[in-house]
Amino acid sequence: MRVARVFPVFSAAFAAIYLAAMYNNLALFSYFPRGRQWFFLTVTDLPRSAGPGMYWYGWLATSFLGAAGIAALALIAPASWIARIARVASWVVPIAVILAVIYILRGWFLR
Amino acid sequence: MITTLLIIHALCAVFMLGALTHQTLSVWWPPRAGETSMVARFRAVRGASYTNTIIVLFIATASLGAILYPSYRLAVRVVLEDLRLSAANGVFELKEHLVAIGLGLLPAYWYYWKEPAAENRIAAKALTTLLALIVWYGFIIGHVLNNIRGFGS
Repeated sequence: MRVARVFPVFSAAFAAIYLAAMYNNLALFSYFPRGRQWFFLTVTDLPRSAGPGMYWYGWLATSFLGAAGIAALALIAPASWIARIARVASWVVPIAVILAVIYILRGWFLR
Repeated sequence: MITTLLIIHALCAVFMLGALTHQTLSVWWPPRAGETSMVARFRAVRGASYTNTIIVLFIATASLGAILYPSYRLAVRVVLEDLRLSAANGVFELKEHLVAIGLGLLPAYWYYWKEPAAENRIAAKALTTLLALIVWYGFIIGHVLNNIRGFGS
């Protein structure tokens, strides 16, 4: 069984999970750069003196773990079936996610 | 230190931009037989030989960006907010998300370049183009934002 055959599944799943993670702020960990503090999961209720929180690293970690899990599950599915779906999903899903992200961020450009 | 890292980050991006542009043009616009112009030679590279280098450069550039990101969050974004440059903040937010999606694309990109079967050609072409667009966007936006804040400020 070649692990590499589920790499395209990982890529499609990563993009979809990243969208969910950033939209719902599902970070595996949070970072507050002013005090160089790291917290497990999403932390938003620190006092103002803690400065702004950064969740991007946590979203990446959430997406990596989730996509790795889905890719591992894809290893037990029939290879030809997975190959046919992943061949399209690996690039169509990221394009759809990019369009969704642009839509989510539209507020920055409409102020 | 931050300025040094920023310059290394930009240099890695330049190398990656060159490699990805070569590869993208080689899949979309391969040279015809007998073409020997400079532009044709630019497109005549063997795309597959660039794959691993591009992946290493993408990870290196994104990692350097991740190290620099807290400085941006504390020193640059606040200034952009004070100046009410919300579009500038927005284009950086988009860059952050595109780089994340680009990192996720790398395994599929590697796989389809290493498995050059005819049925994988469209996927390899699409993923290469997506990565090239992400890198070009990230490069231009990084450059513009750096200009807004000013070098070394």
